[in-house]
Amino acid sequence: MEKIKEFFKTFLLVELLKGMALTGRYMFARKITVQFPEEKTPQGFRFRGLHAQRRYANGEERCIGCKLCEAVCPALAIKIEVAEREDGTRRTTQYDIDLTKCIFCGFCEESCPVDAIVETRIFEYHGEKRGDLYYTKPMLLAVGDKHEAQIAKDRASDAKYR
Amino acid sequence: MSFFDVVFYLFAVITTLAATGVIVARNPVHAALFLVLAFCSAAGIWMLLEAEFLAITLVLVYVGAVMVLFLFVVMMLDINLLKLREGFWRWFPFGAGLAGLMVFEMIWVLGSRQTSEVSVAVTHAADYSNTKELGRLLYTQYVYPFELAAVILLVAMVAAIALTLRRRTGVKTQNISEQVKARKADRLRIVKMKSETKV
Amino acid sequence: MMEWLEPIQKFLGPAWLPIWTLLKIVVIVLPLMGAVAYLTLAERKVIGWMQIRIGPNRVGYFGLLQPLADGLKLLMKEIIVPSGANKFLFIIAPILTLMPALAVWAVVPFNAQLVVANINAGLLYILAMASLGVYGVIIAGWASNSKYAFLGALRSAAQIVSYEIAMGFALVTVLMAAQSLNLGDIVRGQHGEHGLLNWYLIPLFPMFVVYFISGVAETNRAPFDVAEGESEIVAGFHVEYSGMAFALFFLGEYANMILVAFLASIMFLGGWLSPVPFLPDSIVWMFAKVAFMLFLFLWFRATFPRYRYDQLMRLGWKVFIPISLLWVVLVGAWMQTPYWLW
Repeated sequence: MEKIKEFFKTFLLVELLKGMALTGRYMFARKITVQFPEEKTPQGFRFRGLHAQRRYANGEERCIGCKLCEAVCPALAIKIEVAEREDGTRRTTQYDIDLTKCIFCGFCEESCPVDAIVETRIFEYHGEKRGDLYYTKPMLLAVGDKHEAQIAKDRASDAKYR
Repeated sequence: MSFFDVVFYLFAVITTLAATGVIVARNPVHAALFLVLAFCSAAGIWMLLEAEFLAITLVLVYVGAVMVLFLFVVMMLDINLLKLREGFWRWFPFGAGLAGLMVFEMIWVLGSRQTSEVSVAVTHAADYSNTKELGRLLYTQYVYPFELAAVILLVAMVAAIALTLRRRTGVKTQNISEQVKARKADRLRIVKMKSETKV
Repeated sequence: MMEWLEPIQKFLGPAWLPIWTLLKIVVIVLPLMGAVAYLTLAERKVIGWMQIRIGPNRVGYFGLLQPLADGLKLLMKEIIVPSGANKFLFIIAPILTLMPALAVWAVVPFNAQLVVANINAGLLYILAMASLGVYGVIIAGWASNSKYAFLGALRSAAQIVSYEIAMGFALVTVLMAAQSLNLGDIVRGQHGEHGLLNWYLIPLFPMFVVYFISGVAETNRAPFDVAEGESEIVAGFHVEYSGMAFALFFLGEYANMILVAFLASIMFLGGWLSPVPFLPDSIVWMFAKVAFMLFLFLWFRATFPRYRYDQLMRLGWKVFIPISLLWVVLVGAWMQTPYWLW
């Protein structure tokens, strides 16, 4: 009896019709697409996007050229050269991040003792030529200067979990 | 020269050239494709003779099925042209003899008075169905030869299958009907358990 | 209804017939190409909806200009011929796919009058032309000189040849019921005072299912798209094609889909006949039926996973062919009894 039932089930394509009913139902379901430029998904304060270099409130750059981020970077995207400045402090002469290599793991930010290198919420950026995504120190500092308020706020909200 | 003559000579030229291509082409795939072209233009000539059923069946059966299977095999061959040409002169006399025989036969058949008389196409009214007439003849006057031919074909088919069917042991083929028969209930047991503690 | 054309006819003399035929061809092919273009949009929309997405909506309102943008893009792309390819066959293969796909439309009736060539053996002609379509695929696969393309071509050839048999038998039952090979006569055979109940769908329902599934397999559509099989053999027979050459394959495939939908509605769903007796027969019914069949194509694609190749062959040879053979005999016997009402 069971076998006869199975036979008719296969021949009447019951299972296929069930599947089609499911997709047919979903055709009228509410769509979950987010229409990107007009609508955006919410971001957390730990979002890891474009990198930035920060400054202290007095305008002095934070980075002391300890090279911890260069050492920890798993994608070898960071390149740092260090020299002594006229006032005797240790500063970077070159601080480059190749964003085409970067995997946005956030290790550089974790390793930084002075919170100099951070990852911001910016993720809509692009380059039109080869090399446009090779960020040098002035470019990183410019990003930091522009978004310092947001960056500081995000660090403050994350601080109690650290 | 009427329009029909022009079309006829066009098809005839294409058929002849394609047929030459079949035996001249170096690449067997090209030869097979030339044969397809020859079939198609031959179907065109039959169409001119108002034999639309035969013409369409030629395309349907020979071009659509037989030549596809032919190409299927020919495409997979790895042909060494040098090796093919090795025995050319040894077999040349035999081939030439066969060709001569065929030419002789064709002249004999086509050149005789009886065949040249019936070569004029018969025209029919527009509602005349070639298919219906052929069907009627096949299933009344020629029903025994027709059924016999069908049985012979069936025997050939069964024989071909019987000759190539080998039940080998130790092969890892999948038994599809077994797979299709598998039911969820035979293999899967859903166990409902309470979660231990509330988080 | 064509009286106003007569002065032109006289003026052109013997050149009239070719020009008139050419005009009719253009009148059929241009809307067909438009239908193909918008079928691609419909496909993307419908599949999107079934996957809870909204589909293309950026190019033009509701994405209505998307097909034109796609066409323009393909038109401007370079056609790359692989270095090991057989150049002549490589170029001619897409043409060979599209040519029969367009040639079949000569005998498809849209309503009682609207048909380019009203020939007696219309159905046979369609079968023959449909079987020619496989050459484009085979030649493309072989001429590309690529193993993926070749595997796709082999799969496609075997699949199309197998399913053609079941399809042919399904059509034979229609021929037996209609007693004609002319597509117009087949539709007229389904005319009657009961509307929907007079269609061949009722007595030949299993054959309708077999025909439509074989039609899906013949056009290499999902779930029978093993010839493309992007997860196994990249894109099958058209891996090496780009630009317009690729677009021609695309056009051929979609034109064939529309053709299968048309044939299914002509042979089983009563073509332009109205499903209910109190509404008039009209070409609108035809298009509505075709649209529904095309929607089924898209619905299948959104629902079913791809068949495995050996199961596909089993379905064709061990299920469809026996069923259709059985039904041919059954219909033959049925027609000899007084219970045959169609």
